[in-house]
Amino acid sequence: MKNIAAFSLLLFGTATLAVAQEKASPLEISGSVDTYYKYDLNKSSNIKTFFANEQNSVSLGMIDLALKKTTGKASFVGELSFGPRGQYQSIPDVTGGYDPEKNGFNIQNLYVNYAFTDKFTMTAGYMGTFIGYEVISPAANFNYSTSYLFGSGPFQNAGIKGTYAFSDKVSLMLGLFNEWNQYTATRGVSSFGGQLMVSPVEGWTAYINGLHGLDGYGNYSTILDLTTAYQINDKVKIGLNAANLSAGDDKFGYSGVALYPQYAFTPAVALGLRAEYFNYKGISGGPSASVTSFTLSGNIKAGGLTFIPEVRFDSDKDFTQGFFKKDGVTPNKSASQFSLAAVYSF
Amino acid sequence: MKVSILFLYLLCICSYLKAQDTELLPKDEAGKFIYYEVVKLHDLPLHTLKVRLLDFFAKNKVGLKSTKFQMTDSTFSASGKLIINKTMVVVSHPSGEVNYNFVLETKLDKYRFWLTDFKFIPYQKDRYGNFVPSTTVGVPLENEPAKFNAEQWKEYRSQTALYAASFAEKIKKHLADPVLKTSLPAEKKMVTKVW
Repeated sequence: MKNIAAFSLLLFGTATLAVAQEKASPLEISGSVDTYYKYDLNKSSNIKTFFANEQNSVSLGMIDLALKKTTGKASFVGELSFGPRGQYQSIPDVTGGYDPEKNGFNIQNLYVNYAFTDKFTMTAGYMGTFIGYEVISPAANFNYSTSYLFGSGPFQNAGIKGTYAFSDKVSLMLGLFNEWNQYTATRGVSSFGGQLMVSPVEGWTAYINGLHGLDGYGNYSTILDLTTAYQINDKVKIGLNAANLSAGDDKFGYSGVALYPQYAFTPAVALGLRAEYFNYKGISGGPSASVTSFTLSGNIKAGGLTFIPEVRFDSDKDFTQGFFKKDGVTPNKSASQFSLAAVYSF
Repeated sequence: MKVSILFLYLLCICSYLKAQDTELLPKDEAGKFIYYEVVKLHDLPLHTLKVRLLDFFAKNKVGLKSTKFQMTDSTFSASGKLIINKTMVVVSHPSGEVNYNFVLETKLDKYRFWLTDFKFIPYQKDRYGNFVPSTTVGVPLENEPAKFNAEQWKEYRSQTALYAASFAEKIKKHLADPVLKTSLPAEKKMVTKVW
């Protein structure tokens, strides 16, 4: 596997040199800034899915800064983030940990890309994961808080991948990667994965994803993921994410499904629901545990600014999430919260 | 300090003048924005016009959706898109695209063409840091936006009008060009044996 990775990088490097003389596009600079207020009805930081987790506080998300440049067929993207959401809540530090005091690495994306032809491109570096529906950047999500599926899956994959577009409607990506969310491989290039994209009709795109290798929990696992969205008309959009992760010989892990119906009243005002069922598989035949979550979010856009008012109800019948009642001591099966986020994109 | 103030002043003046110069596209009988022009052929045979038209679209693939080309004896139609760039003082990146339809008709000694059905599709940054369409259904440029998005919408209309005028000049020039380049320019060679 190491030899294949080395050969791919060599090929990639040679091709990149060949375009040094070609026409360059202007440097693109873009980014976003986000902040939020959250209030849990039981006055506790009950719902701990990634981001929007601080109770009764005007808190920070992150500032995200991205650079992109294209020269002929070669391009690069460098995207840095600063703040809780873009640092220790999602980005590992140099040692691979998530210690807020040590975290000095802020990289969301750092990769180079080369288009060998109109149909075939190769990419190498540290990239946002191809698994899942939701992403770290709040500017690219409809809901501000994130799903259990998002929080449990990979965030980034460092590696090298090739994508071949058979047509506008079908493409295939195959790649070799480090373990999840790591800048440096601790056990070599340990994972391989792929993504099949199909777009059967205009407005409907489906991604069938698979990744096998060392996961973020230290196990060798296989994750299969379906991410799809259908823009039915200018008002209605439906998204779906389903995933199954099996780890180790016992095949423990998780599975889940989330549905995302959205309705746009105008181009600037929309309402969307996320309904999710998430199941933790029992280890060594032990009992499974599940969580159900409903999140209703609004998107109100004014120029580059998007306000996201949101209510969320989570049901945890198996007491795996550590929800508490108002006294902060007695375990509770459910949690409810309201949040208001402001996301500015530029 | 004085230089900075002078620079800012000039910047403001330039922005003001630019805003004054920008004209929106007129609307047709159906209330849609349209760029429309009738051009005399000046003894140019129709079949030559068609050859040059195809040559134009072959050489300007970027921004034109070649899959939707349609050509009959007297009508040529295609669809295309222009990228709307969000430009600030020092940064620029695509913020959306405007899709449109292009039609050209010929008649005896003249031809006419128009660009219409302008629809805006906003871009959104994806997980890899690239700007991509956030939807597949465009919003007609004729739609009146909400108050808080009015300035942005006005900018989309302005950029579309500028693009249409520039596109028209380009295609007219190409169709009237008496010499169409059919071969690549000769490669330059340095002779180093004699010096």
